[in-house]
Amino acid sequence: MAFCDLRPVRVGDDKAGTTYIIGEVFAVYTFGSQFPAIYSWDMLKSVSVTRKDMTFSFVGAKKNFSISNKVFNSAEDVLRAIAIIEHRQKIYGFEYQHERRIFPLKSMYYEVSPGKDSYVGEGVLDEADTAAALIVLLDFKLMKFLWLMALLVMLVMFGILNYVLGMTRDNILYIILISLVTGGIFALLIYIITHAVARARVKSFSGADLAAKETITFVISRAGFAACESCVYQNHDLVPWDAADYFVESDKMFIIFKGKTPLAYIPKKAFPKKQIGGVADIIALSLEQR
Amino acid sequence: MSVEIKSETIDVKGQSVILVSVRGGENAIGTFSIGSNSRDGVLGTETRLLYIGTDPIINMTCSSGASKKSDKLMSFSPGFHGYDQKVFDVLTSAFLSLNRGDSLTAGLKGIFSLLQDGVYAVYTSDYYPTDGNGTFFWGAYNTNHEVHGTAEHNRITMSGNVYKPCFLIPTQSMGYFTARALASTEEFVKKRRIHGIVYHVSGFHSALLKGHHGAVACTKENIPYKCAVIEKISDPYTEKIAPVQMVENQEEENGENQSAPVPPTPVPVEREGITGFRSPSIKIPIEAFPKDMLNIIVNGLSEYKPPHFEVITAKLDSVRKKAVTNNIFSNEVLEKAEQMPDAGMVESAYAISSLSDEELNRLLAGDVEFNGKVIISPNFYSSIVTACNFLQFTDMKRFIDFSIAIMDNPDLSATHEYVAQRVLSQEKNTKLYNFFKSAAASGDAKYEKILPAANTFLKRYEADNRR
Repeated sequence: MAFCDLRPVRVGDDKAGTTYIIGEVFAVYTFGSQFPAIYSWDMLKSVSVTRKDMTFSFVGAKKNFSISNKVFNSAEDVLRAIAIIEHRQKIYGFEYQHERRIFPLKSMYYEVSPGKDSYVGEGVLDEADTAAALIVLLDFKLMKFLWLMALLVMLVMFGILNYVLGMTRDNILYIILISLVTGGIFALLIYIITHAVARARVKSFSGADLAAKETITFVISRAGFAACESCVYQNHDLVPWDAADYFVESDKMFIIFKGKTPLAYIPKKAFPKKQIGGVADIIALSLEQR
Repeated sequence: MSVEIKSETIDVKGQSVILVSVRGGENAIGTFSIGSNSRDGVLGTETRLLYIGTDPIINMTCSSGASKKSDKLMSFSPGFHGYDQKVFDVLTSAFLSLNRGDSLTAGLKGIFSLLQDGVYAVYTSDYYPTDGNGTFFWGAYNTNHEVHGTAEHNRITMSGNVYKPCFLIPTQSMGYFTARALASTEEFVKKRRIHGIVYHVSGFHSALLKGHHGAVACTKENIPYKCAVIEKISDPYTEKIAPVQMVENQEEENGENQSAPVPPTPVPVEREGITGFRSPSIKIPIEAFPKDMLNIIVNGLSEYKPPHFEVITAKLDSVRKKAVTNNIFSNEVLEKAEQMPDAGMVESAYAISSLSDEELNRLLAGDVEFNGKVIISPNFYSSIVTACNFLQFTDMKRFIDFSIAIMDNPDLSATHEYVAQRVLSQEKNTKLYNFFKSAAASGDAKYEKILPAANTFLKRYEADNRR
């Protein structure tokens, strides 16, 4: 099983006098009690992971266990705990609630060797690059719509000016010029607004996912791909290509999609320049390009 | 980091259990997952490897992911080239130590240092030197095939029953077998108290670390194959009944009474979560664990990838040396292996917890019910089969008596042949000899179906006594 070798995470909540261990089992050591309460993962009803905490609800437990991310020793520990939860979720199928993620869930991975013909890169996901990639996507979708809107605004403005001022041989050039400029300004406004929305979107999901600020290992191989926090990645876990539908390539990154949702952002700068062609080849061989 | 090995004997429901904890182990013997193999062709398959030192020994492939309810496809790993000399020396020294009379914990200390971190139960138990499907274990794994009884939780044991693994997986290839070694071992096995050292791997199957020639000799000589067993305790289990809390004796806590431990006093407690951790053969409540051992389980993993796992997996692509051998076992050994209980029989023996004499008498009378309740199964033939399995496993004397009573009853002739074949393995039993001798001599038609088995039995018994 993918991610089966992750070491358990020990979390001490000094205020509550409780120590949690998230690993092969979920153990709760309460100050003053002789033995820990230990829960197996098949007893887990649901777990919710947010940017602030994680809450476990076990069958037969008198209360839910909520662990603030602040009490973890490091961000790496939080990410390891999340990886353990997602690995177990694949096996036991408990309810799992989480915020928007920019990389595939660990439950999508299979333990399989990437093989010799694979490309491995590493890097932090750049917010500006991601926004730029999204904008490229957006531009692609918006372009026809923008032209149409600009044309419509031009015609409307032309009609209004004609109705208000009346068209004469002296002002026809001005009316055409004003109509063209109005259409242009309108299209520019829409363009600026959509770009701002794209940037805000990237910012919001970057904030929601701890992995956005972590070093990520990217693996591209014929067996599958990986985009996983380096502190958690074990070099033999891949998401099979059939988990994705298509990919889009911008000048700075590949974005792999499942339906309309981006599954993984793979920046080109994570790989050495001479490998980019090979990476693109494998992705293009495995997925449809749009 | 040096290896830290601690052993402790605890009391679980009146049963004494030896626990050994290993911290900082050398990771030279164990199992680990290599996930899906490109050769499998399907991403959903999961392969685990039994390794010793830097050698992959056995491939265990589960075609339904990592399901613990499925039997595994097993075969000798193509990358196996033979033990590291260091491991071989440690195993040999442990084996000699045990047969010199050392305790299990003292004798196996060297082997514990080679294991992965964790808590292990140690005990002795008789093993059948077969693959659990009637084939002598050594050589049974040369081709990849599904081995019945290798599922961690099968239809019997998934109900939470404990069971004793009793089938073997070799860790030496057939090329290692020599007739000369066998001849000398045949003399030794009569005096040995421990014939093999095994490490539990999956379901009813354990890997034989030491004692391959002894297994051949014991089968030939009809000597029970007694093994020192090492089982990892890591599976959580939950029981609905409230467990008991073991309250340690006050004097013992103060260290004043260490030589004579007083059994802990059971106090019922209400608890949330799991009841404890288990291995196949033992369930240990959380309260019964020494604290440091419980910490090792909770803070550890059930399986670790050894640091040198890439060296091991790289060998999977190579071709096994001595993959072809001219060594063969005698027909006597192979036939005896075929008559030993198989995995299906052992499973059904664990399906019932007890059989009273009254219930057996009802079965002998041809009834399947006692006091208005079905004794084993509404099917009579199935009831006889299961009763034989259960008795053979739990009480050999009652098994022999029950078998003779069946074979002596002409109304149960439908089961005669089956029962006669089942008792063939007990070829040193005088009671059976006398019964078969009188049956063969009587010429009575009611013994018609047992005559072939009776003649084989008599031949073997007499040949055995002539030696």
